[in-house]
Amino acid sequence: MKILIAISSKEFSSPTLNVGMRVAKAFSAKTTIVDVGGKINQFGLKEVGIAQERMESWDIDRPGVDVLEWAFDFLAENNFIEKNEIEAGFPKNTLIERGGRRSEVFLKGTVCDDVNLILRNGEIIEELINEVQSEGYDVTIIGKSKKSKKDYELTQYIDSSIFIVNNYDPNQNYKVLLAVDDSPGTKKAVKYSVRIAQAFNIGIEVVTVSKTDEFREDYKNASHWATKFLRRNKIDYHKSFEVGDPVEIISNKAGKNHIVVMGSSSSNPLKTFFAGSKPLTVLKNSQCPILIVK
Amino acid sequence: MFGASNQLLNNLLFWISRKKWLIATFFISITIFYLPTPDGLSAEGHRTLIIVVTALILIISESIPIPAVAILILIMEVVLGVDTPDGVASSFMSDAVFFIMGSLMLAVAIVHQGLDKHLALVIIALTGNKTWRISFGFVAVSAIMASFIGEHTVAAMMLPVALSLIKNSGIGIEKSSRLSTLLLFSIAYGCALGSIGTPSGGGRNAIMIGYLAEFGLANISYLDWMKYAYPMLLLEIPLASVILWYTFPPEKRIMDSAIRKLKVNVMKSGPLNNNQKLSIIVFVFVFIGWIFLSPKIGLGIVALSGVFLYLSFRLIEWNDIATRMNWGIVILFGSAISLGIQMKETGAALWLAESFLEYFQAHVNDMTVVRWSFSVILCSILTNLLSNAATVAVLGPIVLDMGGDPVVMGMATSIASAFAYLTIVASPTCMIIHSTGLVKSSDYFKAGWKLFFASIVLLFLISFIYWPVLR
Repeated sequence: MKILIAISSKEFSSPTLNVGMRVAKAFSAKTTIVDVGGKINQFGLKEVGIAQERMESWDIDRPGVDVLEWAFDFLAENNFIEKNEIEAGFPKNTLIERGGRRSEVFLKGTVCDDVNLILRNGEIIEELINEVQSEGYDVTIIGKSKKSKKDYELTQYIDSSIFIVNNYDPNQNYKVLLAVDDSPGTKKAVKYSVRIAQAFNIGIEVVTVSKTDEFREDYKNASHWATKFLRRNKIDYHKSFEVGDPVEIISNKAGKNHIVVMGSSSSNPLKTFFAGSKPLTVLKNSQCPILIVK
Repeated sequence: MFGASNQLLNNLLFWISRKKWLIATFFISITIFYLPTPDGLSAEGHRTLIIVVTALILIISESIPIPAVAILILIMEVVLGVDTPDGVASSFMSDAVFFIMGSLMLAVAIVHQGLDKHLALVIIALTGNKTWRISFGFVAVSAIMASFIGEHTVAAMMLPVALSLIKNSGIGIEKSSRLSTLLLFSIAYGCALGSIGTPSGGGRNAIMIGYLAEFGLANISYLDWMKYAYPMLLLEIPLASVILWYTFPPEKRIMDSAIRKLKVNVMKSGPLNNNQKLSIIVFVFVFIGWIFLSPKIGLGIVALSGVFLYLSFRLIEWNDIATRMNWGIVILFGSAISLGIQMKETGAALWLAESFLEYFQAHVNDMTVVRWSFSVILCSILTNLLSNAATVAVLGPIVLDMGGDPVVMGMATSIASAFAYLTIVASPTCMIIHSTGLVKSSDYFKAGWKLFFASIVLLFLISFIYWPVLR
């Protein structure tokens, strides 16, 4: 299992890193924390690289290193990395450059496998999609963007499950809101919801929504399988069947005190491109963290 | 995960969402191809203009890598029948390309020596601890050095000096401040305006000298160029300093503790070592070569001779040059010059020049100022959107075909391409200071527009008052 946590700054990324590391711990996943710096125009790529080398010779950090250093301190404070790594301090000298726009530091994790800190430069969506494609992550965790278009594009195109940490409040009593239907992604969503529930030590509300009064047999079977799985994993759960528009019901139920877990759309990507999808609309309407499982 | 076919479709949609301009360029090119050739333009000229439009859109949109644009230009020149493969190959490589390649290699070699700490000592010895003097000193030193060794070399060396001062000033480099903006722009604008001073200040100057010689219009030596351009550079230094000072009045007017800490830090590096001394001597030889030998053997060969010496004395290893050099830019400049030559040879440049002049000739009697304004304003706008050397490579043949004094037109165009003050992408120096995270994109326009207009006015006065005295 491999998890990618995207952070951007000390000011805004604390909830993302907090949630990300709890999830990584629950999955015992190999974890990478990435900061994507601004895009550098191709005409100046090498020149900027040379200037940054000179800055480093004066012991002046290039942008982004401070963000990784802050992430290191967070990992150290919470004992997510081994003691000898903590004592040695942030190993900025071992920030190895790979392929011009990507540098990384390797750390030995404690609660999860290795923890890597990486810096990339470029357009954030392209960089995250490239990172996921080249390194094969299973889940990408990222804070909600001010521009919702970015969240939609990332959710649609990235080849991993995506957890958008929207309005996360560590003092809130969350519950997982697990949307179950007959879509192919449901079983994986159920499995992931168990890990999320374990990560936060919380219960799960299983909701199955039908547009008509009559619940199809597939829906009932999916809900039955989900509850059986939760029971087997000793998760505290509550099951409900609702009638109405799935997007509206899930968004309303989610409120601010749920972590929504749902499968990604099984529709044709072309249809999603033009008409959107249920997960994308829930993402747009909800005020809480949401994990879309692919 | 998605099904394989859905994932493939998704990847395709992502590609389309990111390559909108590439797709648009394809359709625009096809449309222009099937449009009837305008009167007065040859079929080859028509097809050359398709390549110009394609290249400009792709460079500005950055939808494909720059070297890919460069290669596409060469492919299109052959496939569209503008020239033969051998003709394209010979127009691709010239002394100007040798010069750009050699200058970039020299830049890597010079920066590699770590002379920046010694440079810092010189600067603070000259400026003292008053912020206005430091800012003025940064503009002046950046400009004068950039006029000889190229702008981004100087920017790379000056950047840590400025950051070190800001870091030790008590303001810090975690967040942008007026002091950081002032000092960083002093470097960027100093380097940009310095690049006009000599042919070695920027590759575009060598391109223009190459065009003037290739088209049989004039032979301009290194010293000739300096006679024309250096007074402009010297006048721009106080102008830029004043504009920057009043646009970004710093929080601190005195920086004595920062200067003291910088001195302590720099002193630790000790005196110049043998390699550093040797590298300065080699560069002085290159400079002398540019002045005295370039009329005979060309600017490019002199620059490459310098690279030969740096490599032979093991002042730098080839691997360092190979990995740090922007080869894509060399290929692009080669292609852009090749395209410029094709524009001239197919008559596309003349057709564009005449089409423009025809419009104005009906309304204006004296075309001298109109021609000058067209070339300077268009060039200074384009240079803020794409590379300044590419701008000169494409615009050069057009402005030289407009008539008037080719030296005035050519030099004014080349100098105007240094007015890259308005955007982050305008020049590598603008990108270098932006990469620190301490300047916002809006800052470029805040100070840039004032210097932009002031520079155009100054260039006008120099072109029409000072240059005629030299002719």
